[in-house]
Amino acid sequence: MIVRKLIAAASTGLLLVTAGCGGSAPSGAAGDAAGSGSGPVRIGALHPVSGSMAVDGLQMRRGAQLAVEKINEAGGIASLGGRDVQLTTADTQGKPEIGQSEAQRLISGGAVGLVGTYQSSVSSNVSVVAERNEVPFVMDVTAADEIFQHGYRYSFRVQPGNGAIATSAAEFLTKVSEQAGKPVRKVAIMHEQTDFGTGAADAFTEAATDLGLEVAPRISYDATTASDFTSQITQVKASGADVLAVSGYYSDSLLIAQAINAVKPDLDAVWGVSNGAYDQPKFVSDAGPIGENYFSTNYHFDAQNPETRQLREEYQRRYGAPMRTGAVLAYDAVQTIAAGVEHAGSTDPVAVRNAIAKVKVDPLTVGDGPVRFGRDGENVNSAAVLMQIQNGRVKQVYPPRKAESDPDYSVAW
Amino acid sequence: MTATIDSEPRASVNLAVLKRAGMVGVLVAAAVVFALLKSGSGIVVWQSVVTGLLTGGLYGLIAMGLTLIFGVLDIVNFAHGAMLAVAMFISFGVVQATGLHPYLTMLVTVPALFLVGAAVHRGLLSGSGGATLENQLLITLGLSLLLENGLLMFFGAEPKNVTLPGETQFGVFGAVVSGSRLYAFLGAIALGLLLYWMLQHTRLGTAVRAVASNGPGAELVGINVRRIHTLTFAIGAACAGAAAALAVPLLSVTPTLGEQFNITAFVVVVLGGMGNVVGALVGGLLIGLVEQLTTIYLDGQSSLLGVFVVFVLVLFLRPQGLFGRRT
Repeated sequence: MIVRKLIAAASTGLLLVTAGCGGSAPSGAAGDAAGSGSGPVRIGALHPVSGSMAVDGLQMRRGAQLAVEKINEAGGIASLGGRDVQLTTADTQGKPEIGQSEAQRLISGGAVGLVGTYQSSVSSNVSVVAERNEVPFVMDVTAADEIFQHGYRYSFRVQPGNGAIATSAAEFLTKVSEQAGKPVRKVAIMHEQTDFGTGAADAFTEAATDLGLEVAPRISYDATTASDFTSQITQVKASGADVLAVSGYYSDSLLIAQAINAVKPDLDAVWGVSNGAYDQPKFVSDAGPIGENYFSTNYHFDAQNPETRQLREEYQRRYGAPMRTGAVLAYDAVQTIAAGVEHAGSTDPVAVRNAIAKVKVDPLTVGDGPVRFGRDGENVNSAAVLMQIQNGRVKQVYPPRKAESDPDYSVAW
Repeated sequence: MTATIDSEPRASVNLAVLKRAGMVGVLVAAAVVFALLKSGSGIVVWQSVVTGLLTGGLYGLIAMGLTLIFGVLDIVNFAHGAMLAVAMFISFGVVQATGLHPYLTMLVTVPALFLVGAAVHRGLLSGSGGATLENQLLITLGLSLLLENGLLMFFGAEPKNVTLPGETQFGVFGAVVSGSRLYAFLGAIALGLLLYWMLQHTRLGTAVRAVASNGPGAELVGINVRRIHTLTFAIGAACAGAAAALAVPLLSVTPTLGEQFNITAFVVVVLGGMGNVVGALVGGLLIGLVEQLTTIYLDGQSSLLGVFVVFVLVLFLRPQGLFGRRT
């Protein structure tokens, strides 16, 4: 009987939680069509500024805001007689359905384009709204590749996708290990088990196998419940792998680093693949010496671009925290839409979309050239970069033309 | 009505408990042997067993407070995880502000959570508003949302970390154990024994057991039932406070970390027999083991899968829990 009570309680609780997530219908009609005529040109920004992703969401909203200020300081949109740009913001709360209704609201409010959303699941809902309303949606951070396989015309992405990063990670690994005279043969991979980690691990495994590496063991885990990785690292140790690749979020990646420090497996390197921790200054301070020499392949702000440096200094001065790559990507995404409006000389979203498909914008993130979109909406010049923690600093180490210092292919323990 | 805190009549019950414990032992041994066959590496399995037991101690520690509250008050406290998160933030804050050793923050978190627990029970649950199951549920669930979002507002979502000064590793026949996990495990055992002793051998404990087994009867012999209820709820919350101080060096502290433990803690409570403090500890150890062995069986698929399989099996075969009695 107690059990029945408990089950009833649990299921009622579940119902309540799901019911609580409904909310927030698109407010207001499209009456205020500020997109056309006079007044500022509106760009909508969708980010998770509350909920567990709030830190990154807020960073990205601020990055977008800085881009808008920069454009207005430089005289606004010249082809529209110097009209100002205005950022209209929305909070996705990290939930796909909220992102969807908020996107609808921003579009109704006259946004000529949308940027967002940090999470693949939210972006895939927003991209449907954008497609239906024929409003361009330029993604800043969105890892999943599936969104670009539907043939959407209004979806664009600045960052390299999951597949691109993982492929670069495998390539960099073979090259860096050969350079160091310790060519890698066998890679163990640990990844969190949702779309993000699994997608990265799939792509990495495929690319590594093509390069003649053996990928084993492959260990997945639940990032939301895991609290200790000692057994998994022991398994890696017993497997005799040369390198451990890790695709995870922040907390789990930190726990993995602690377990590595405890078990001390016989590895040549720890290799982050789209990893949420190993290229973050916060990881350096949380992990301390045990994170030294960790590698990470990811998108990254261009540390050698003076404009990026200036932007990050401005951010640090204003908000008292280092500007993350996600925020720089949001900056790039807003720049891209503004360039589209400039090019189109119009605030008609369809015209803006067509212009975005053709523009070239110099990014502040690492790339192989200006942001330029292919037919599928992907940035053809997006590129991943290899970073390493050296003497308590995250440094770009590969490829050589983006390197701040040489890779040190070794481990600290 | 749901009390299983005491175990009388002793002789026959003890025998049955021993029998069941033996059976569980045999099952665990079989599971370990199977894991050995599956992985083919003794050291991996041994490490999994050690890690499982240590993590399990933590689960047991968190579940103890929950089971105590359920056993005596018949309240399913959905806010337990959120209270744990609150306690962890208190612990984190104290370490940041004073540089105190993380374990010593227990001196702050335990009384603080005791007061929070008492206030929650007196203010929200003991009145007529908290009389029905549905209301208790709504209140505790609402409270957990309130606490989590309050923490988010004050501290932000950035994960916080506390390091244990002088953290070391121990080797246990080839397996590696980090000091912080071992201490948390030992703390859990000690706390479990303390709670058990308190329930069995103090006046307060006797009163708690009396209220648990028969409220009106206890009232008749002069026990202030409402006060005992409040005290029990406060003690249950204080357990979360103790658990927080022990676990804070092991985890990244975030406002939502309670969710991670809520589900596991409920499974542990059901497994150990609802209201049974020692059962919660043993159930915690078992769930820790199951989690780790599942990752071996299923090559690292969600370890919760194994936990829920065990949960369903227990509900099906022995709904009163391994160490509970049929009511």
